[in-house]
Amino acid sequence: MADAVPDTAAGQTEPMKRDRDLWLVPACQILLLVVLIALWEIATGSAKLSAFLFGSPSAVWEHLVKMALDGSLLRDSLVTGAETLMGFGLGNLIGTVLGLALWYSRFVSRVVQPFIVAIGSIPIVALAPLVIIWFGTGLASKVAMSTLSVVVVALVIAYKGALSVDADQINLMRTLGASKQQIFRKLVVPASLGDIFAGLKLTIGFALIGAIVGEFMSSSECLGHAIFKAGSLYIISKVFAALVATIALALLLTYIVGKVERLLMPWRTFD
Amino acid sequence: MMQPALDHPAAGVQSGSGASPLLLAEGIAKTYFVGGRANAVIGDVSVQLKRGEIVSVVGPSGCGKTTLLNLLCGVLPLSAGRVAWRGQPLTGMPDRVGYMLQKDLLLPWRTALGNVTLGLEIKNVAREEREARAHALLDTVGLKSFHDYYPSKLSGGMRQRVALARTLVTDPEVLLLDEPFAALDFQTKLLLESDMVRLVRSEGRSLLMITHDVEEAVSLSDRVLVLSHRPSRVRAVHDIVLDADRDDMMAVRQSPRFFELVRLIWSQLEVRGSDG
Repeated sequence: MADAVPDTAAGQTEPMKRDRDLWLVPACQILLLVVLIALWEIATGSAKLSAFLFGSPSAVWEHLVKMALDGSLLRDSLVTGAETLMGFGLGNLIGTVLGLALWYSRFVSRVVQPFIVAIGSIPIVALAPLVIIWFGTGLASKVAMSTLSVVVVALVIAYKGALSVDADQINLMRTLGASKQQIFRKLVVPASLGDIFAGLKLTIGFALIGAIVGEFMSSSECLGHAIFKAGSLYIISKVFAALVATIALALLLTYIVGKVERLLMPWRTFD
Repeated sequence: MMQPALDHPAAGVQSGSGASPLLLAEGIAKTYFVGGRANAVIGDVSVQLKRGEIVSVVGPSGCGKTTLLNLLCGVLPLSAGRVAWRGQPLTGMPDRVGYMLQKDLLLPWRTALGNVTLGLEIKNVAREEREARAHALLDTVGLKSFHDYYPSKLSGGMRQRVALARTLVTDPEVLLLDEPFAALDFQTKLLLESDMVRLVRSEGRSLLMITHDVEEAVSLSDRVLVLSHRPSRVRAVHDIVLDADRDDMMAVRQSPRFFELVRLIWSQLEVRGSDG
C-alpha cells in the first residue's frame, strides 16, 4: 500500500502572515513601551504630574546606571534572583508532586480539599512574621516565603491537570492492560505537563512576591531592600529602578521556563 | 473463515452450534443513577460473537451504543445480565481484546511509532521487539515513512490508521470498535474499512462494531443487530449474505441485496419511541 499524503492543515497559518507577525508583534510591543515611557516623561516634565511623587523615566535611568556602576544592581538582583529561583523550584516541586499524587486517590483528595482551600486562602504576607521567627532573618526565610507563595497554586494546578485527563484515554489504557501506576506514568504525568508549565509561568510572579515580602521584613543586600529603603526616603525614581530590575528578573525566568517547555514538549505547536 | 470454536469444549456456556462463542452477552442492562434518579440506558440486550465473525450493532443516536461496548469489555459494571468471554464470566478486562473509538485517542506526546508501541510497552515487551512489530504494522496500514511524525502533523485518516495499528499490535483475537470511522470523509472511510476487514479476516480475528452508519454495518458485517431507542433492546438481527467479494467495499455496496438490507434496517431504526 502506498503511503498516504499528509494534509497541510494541521494547525498552520499561511507562511506569509507568519513571517509578517514575526517582526510586527515585537515592533508593536517596543512602540507601545516607548509611547508609555514618553507619556510618563512628558507628564512629569511639564509639572502636570509631580516628578517627586511619581519619578521620571530619565531619573529612573540615572539610578539604574548608578546602581549598575556601584555593583549593587547585579548584587541585589543575584540575591533576589537566587531566593526567587529556590522558592519557585521548591514550591513547584512540592506542589506538583503532591497535586499529581492526589490523582491516585479520589478519597484522599476529597479529605484534604478543604485544608487546601484553607491554606490557599491565607495571605502569605500575614505569615511573614512567623516565617522570620521560624527560619531566621537570612536566606532561608525568603526562600520559605517564596515557596509558600507558590506551593498551593502549583498543587491545585497540577491536580486539576491530572483530573482533566480524558476519561476515554484512561479507558483505552485500561483496555491495553495498563496498571494504575502505568496509567499515571505514561498518561497522567505527560498529559498534565501543559497545565504544569502554565502553572510554572504563573507562579514566577508569586515566587518573586514571596521573596520580596520576605526581604521587606529583614534584609540588607537585595532588590526588596533597595525598594523598601528608597521608598522610605522618598527616592521614587530609585524605587522604579529597582522595580525595573525585578521585572527584568521575572521576564528572564519566564523566558527560561518557556525554553524548557519547548524542549520538554517538542510535540506541541506553539504560536 | 468462520471456523467453529473448539478451544474450550468444556466451557460452561454453550452456543447453538455446541461450542462456546468468543463473546456471549445475555440480557444485559445498564441503569445510571444521577441525583437519585434512575436513567435506564440499556434495557435488555443479548449479543453473540463467534470466532472469525464480524458483527455490527446499529441503533438510533443516543441509544447507549457506547455504554454497551463498555459493558462488554468490563470498563463499566453491569446492572443486570451476564457477559462471558470464551465461556468464562467477565472479570476485569478480557484478554486479547483490542479497542478502538471514533476519537483516535493518540497520545500527542508520542510519535506514530510511540503510539503503536504503547500496548506492548504496557505488557513489558522488550524495546527492540515492540519497535519491530510496530514498524511492521505501520507498514501494513500504509504509514511506513510516517513513524516519527507526531499526531498533530497527521491527517484524521492517518491518525485513525495509527490507532488501528495500535489496536492490532498486541495481536488481539477480537476487536471492539465504537464508530471508528465516523469522523472520516467518505473515501478515507471506504479505504480504511477495506483495509480493516482484510486485516481482520485474513488473520482470523473477530470484530464487534458499534455504529450509527447502516451502510457501513451492512457492508462490513456477517451479522447486524438493530437496537431500539433507550432503554435499548434488540429490535432485529440480520444475517448479511451478499453476492460479492466481502473485502471489497465498493463491490459490496453495488450488490442489489445490499440496498435491500440497508433499506430494511433503516425502516427498523426510524420507528421512534416505540419502546420504553
